[in-house]
Amino acid sequence: MKRAQAVRPPVDPVTLAVMNSRMAAIAEEMGVVLGQTAFSPNIKERRDYSCALFDGAGELVAQAAHIPVHLGSTPLSVRAAIARLDLAPGDIAALNDPFAGGTHLPDVTLVAPIHLPGERKPFAYAANRAHHADIGGMAPGSMALATEIYQEGLRLPPVKIVVGGAPARDVFELFLANTRVREEREGDLRAQIAALEVGAARMRAMVAAAGRAEVAAAMTALKDYAERLMRAALREIPNGTYSAEDAMDGDGFGDRPIPLRVKIKIDGGRAHVDFTGSAPQVRGSINANYAITLSATFYVMKCMAAGETPSNEGLMRPITLVAPPGTIVNAQPPAAVAGGNVETSQRIVDVLFRALARAAPKRVSAASSGSMSNLTVGGYDRFRGRHFSYYETIAGGAGAAAGHPGASGIHTHMTNTLNTPIEALEAYYPMRVTEYRIRRSSSGAGKFAGGEGLVREIECLVEANVSLLAERRKIAPWGLHGGGAGACGADYLVSAAGRKRRLAAKANALLEPGERIRIETPGGGGWGRAKR
Amino acid sequence: MVVGIDTGGTFTDLVAIVGGEARVHKLASTPHDPAQAVIAGIAELIGGAPAEIVTYSSTVATNALLEGKGARVALFTDAGFEDLIEIGRQNRSDLYALAPSRPAPLVGRSMRFGVGGRTLHDGTVQKPIGRAELAAIRKLAEKSRAESFAVCLLHSYANPASEELIAAALAPAGKPLSVSHRILAEYREYERLSTAVVNAYVAPRMVAHLERLESGLKTRRLRVMQSDGNAIGPALARAEPVRTILSGPAAGVVGAAALARAIGLGKFITFDMGGTSTDVALVDGAARVRTLSYPNGYAVRTPVIDIHTVGAGGGSIASLDAGGSLRVGPESAGADPGPACYGRGERPAVTDADLIAGRLLAGNFLGGRMRLDAARSERALAPLARAMKTDLAGAARGVIRVVNANMERAIRVVSVARGFDPREFALMAFGGAGPMHACELARELGVRHIVLPRNPGLLCAWGALGAPLGREYSLTVRDADPRFARLRGRARPLIARARAELTAEGGRPASIHYDLRADVRYRGQSYEIEVALSPRFAVEFHAAHRRAFGHSAPDAPIEVVNLRLRAWAEGPHRGSRRVSPPAGRPSPAGRVRIAVDGATVSAPVYQREAFGAGARIAGPAIVAELSATTYVAPEFDLRCDQFGNLHMEAR
Repeated sequence: MKRAQAVRPPVDPVTLAVMNSRMAAIAEEMGVVLGQTAFSPNIKERRDYSCALFDGAGELVAQAAHIPVHLGSTPLSVRAAIARLDLAPGDIAALNDPFAGGTHLPDVTLVAPIHLPGERKPFAYAANRAHHADIGGMAPGSMALATEIYQEGLRLPPVKIVVGGAPARDVFELFLANTRVREEREGDLRAQIAALEVGAARMRAMVAAAGRAEVAAAMTALKDYAERLMRAALREIPNGTYSAEDAMDGDGFGDRPIPLRVKIKIDGGRAHVDFTGSAPQVRGSINANYAITLSATFYVMKCMAAGETPSNEGLMRPITLVAPPGTIVNAQPPAAVAGGNVETSQRIVDVLFRALARAAPKRVSAASSGSMSNLTVGGYDRFRGRHFSYYETIAGGAGAAAGHPGASGIHTHMTNTLNTPIEALEAYYPMRVTEYRIRRSSSGAGKFAGGEGLVREIECLVEANVSLLAERRKIAPWGLHGGGAGACGADYLVSAAGRKRRLAAKANALLEPGERIRIETPGGGGWGRAKR
Repeated sequence: MVVGIDTGGTFTDLVAIVGGEARVHKLASTPHDPAQAVIAGIAELIGGAPAEIVTYSSTVATNALLEGKGARVALFTDAGFEDLIEIGRQNRSDLYALAPSRPAPLVGRSMRFGVGGRTLHDGTVQKPIGRAELAAIRKLAEKSRAESFAVCLLHSYANPASEELIAAALAPAGKPLSVSHRILAEYREYERLSTAVVNAYVAPRMVAHLERLESGLKTRRLRVMQSDGNAIGPALARAEPVRTILSGPAAGVVGAAALARAIGLGKFITFDMGGTSTDVALVDGAARVRTLSYPNGYAVRTPVIDIHTVGAGGGSIASLDAGGSLRVGPESAGADPGPACYGRGERPAVTDADLIAGRLLAGNFLGGRMRLDAARSERALAPLARAMKTDLAGAARGVIRVVNANMERAIRVVSVARGFDPREFALMAFGGAGPMHACELARELGVRHIVLPRNPGLLCAWGALGAPLGREYSLTVRDADPRFARLRGRARPLIARARAELTAEGGRPASIHYDLRADVRYRGQSYEIEVALSPRFAVEFHAAHRRAFGHSAPDAPIEVVNLRLRAWAEGPHRGSRRVSPPAGRPSPAGRVRIAVDGATVSAPVYQREAFGAGARIAGPAIVAELSATTYVAPEFDLRCDQFGNLHMEAR
């Protein structure tokens, strides 16, 4: 498709750099406000959120580097909000519907139009996305082993949650009535709103200082700039078609692996990424909707474009993506998708890098742990007289690369959340951490060894529901160029007496008081043949 | 007679007050043994008479950490949690690195020892440490090759008994001992652990250094600057050297604040632009302090002055990237080869742009001791100018604008992002390149007043000289139904400890100030706001929350997480600074052509010494001095105050 050749004021290299710095600063400042005012440990302690600025057409202009899985998918949210709602000054839209711009239900995105004085059409948009620790559904934490999206929680198409500057009380109430920890949700939503207000105020101040036409031109120029950077990066990769296959262990209902296949065609500064041949969507919740696949592709390509590149829509222009509808990488309603965001996204990254390893063998790492090992524990805390819902992702080993042994116990690829401090966890939840260490001997051997996984074992002091959503428990993280595979993960229920019972990687279970859940996460693959 | 000293990487600066008069001295540092320069400098400055108080900023702990030359540490922690020091918070610093990495843990795997007790969050000892195990620890400590021990157990802030048992078992080995709750009695185990380990890592070097210093110095009291701007005595510096890691920059901010007080300035932002990096800090009456920093990538939770550093300065290299944007830094020409105009480098740096723009005078660098090669700057910048499709002057202007944008972002981090409006603040510019970029930066930020301190190279030594004796004490209380009286009661042991420690270091009990504060949050939140602990602390908290984040919930339950006590005794009197002689009209030493907003104009050049108290000129102009050059933009007036500081004010 040819881009319209609109007349644009020229933007010189200096203005480009200056505006890039200012836009990024606004997105970062929004992130500071959101992180500091949020209520839930998931947002504040683990920083599971992202903030971004968009131009008047809903194209991403700047995004603060928080969580990669949000990167490519936030634009779809903003466009869905614009398409479905007429956003007037002071309005804010909320949404989480994976089939209307969202990723998975716990990720709630808020979108605020930024109007300039006297203008009806928004000049720009501010948006943020935060992972809420509970959004209703069949199990606390909303990450259960579901088969339909209806079981996963409250589904929110774009709706106005703030109208003309005042909270839409009815929408708030509807939202809060469908979640398990009401006060926390309300506090987190308020924090998201506060962050948007800061973003909008800063953008207006920038327009007042620099001029409307200048800022508009700069937003366009920044996207063009990112496009040029990405083209330059793609030209560094030899032309050719690179294919790879990887697979998910299973969807929690069947035992058969679920293959993902990709073909990447690199051609003179362009990349054509085609997932045709990947498995049909599945019954369990590991379906990735299109937004996830787009995000994962965006992430991989941004990694390949080494050095600082602005996170905006221009980066994706040289890349075309084919993800056939109805497959595991572009699931259609009413597929369950909670795990697509956290697990399948990692496998999409793995398969993309596996293909690119053939093109750039010295740069690409072996497979990392490939699972966020999502653990949700919830129930009624009789000591504190309240319901609780605890969610955590557990890191694993990083894959090794030429000259770089993999790091151990580190979050890789699509997530970068922090762990919940044990001293916070034990003070606020009826749980006790009994072990948290590096899982020795779990790395892939190699000239450069992979990183090791983690062991995290938690004792429940009350009866609780446990949901586990994990991968790489059967199909190990691969090595590269003769390097060995990382160890598969393994999960157990441990009785008070110490008896271990293997737990399925995707499972809901009831934990008796005194019982423990033990998660052993996968290691990373090695790089190059190990010396004997 | 009191002395303040800043030991930098290159020079050691000293200031002394002798009979009410200030004396200054500068000599080369002795990095292999920083004590030598300190001892020699004092002898050269004040002779053989013993000084009453010597306060200095130490780089010993800093360098041990930055150079990776700290001690072999053995760590004692809960069994099952030995690797926490390596796992950290599970995150990575660079999201898009093809191979993520993090700094190597300061304790190797074979030096981590698990201990079998367990304390719970409410302080209950669920499982005590057995006698046999303590005996084994004692034996292990005696045989160990470790040079330093760290102890950190879960929930030790709630009950330190188990940590103390281990400490008692380790003590007979006679090695530096870092016990987590003593340094930091706050919850969040990783940060407390990392702080204790960093402390253990730098302690032996600090101990040896202080020994050399004390044996060579004839002084009644020796004090060491901490990262929060207060000074402590040698006993505390030996026990908790982690508190001194950022002492140099902190002394600079304290010195700047002292100078500002003398001229009646309460609100300002320091802008210290050097060769490879730039430090900025906001002072609103007092310097702002934060509680978490990451020196060299390692988490340290002790109070530090909130100084934000960006990797851009005079040596930052300019280039056009693959997308056609001008980049300045983070790559730096450093001191070697240095910017092209120093005579060795080939690539254009910010200093080259400053030279071409006329703000830096080729013949006046370091008082004329080093001549800058302007032709070489032009040769280095020419390819960039061609790529930018502009001339040399245009390219130079562009480089300056981009580096200023980096500075502007840094200043926004410490002001706007913390809820301050930079327009209400003055800019205090120093460092080799600061005064050259201050006017344009001020314009972008809406700042109307710039202060150029006299003798900026001595700010750190001045800061050390008058630094208060004091430190912060904290305790996690996690009180979900906070009452003032009860909190006040829980703070009593902190106050007692502060009184004992500061009195031991020479503070008069009657002169010690106690500032008791509380970290408060809404129940369920996990970010705290610090307010004074008064009977009205809850009201203060709601107001502070509204101020910082735009909303508050006065009906929502609140929780007090930590108590903080800042205790300090006034430092030595700095004396009155010498007043500059009143001046006639300063006359320019020459004229130079400078680039101003796209045009080239002729501007006068003054020597800084030409300005006496009350002297005034209008921009555009250049003011040259030994260590820096000031660019006075056309819309600024410049005047000299009675202490010899220069002020630029927007017309």
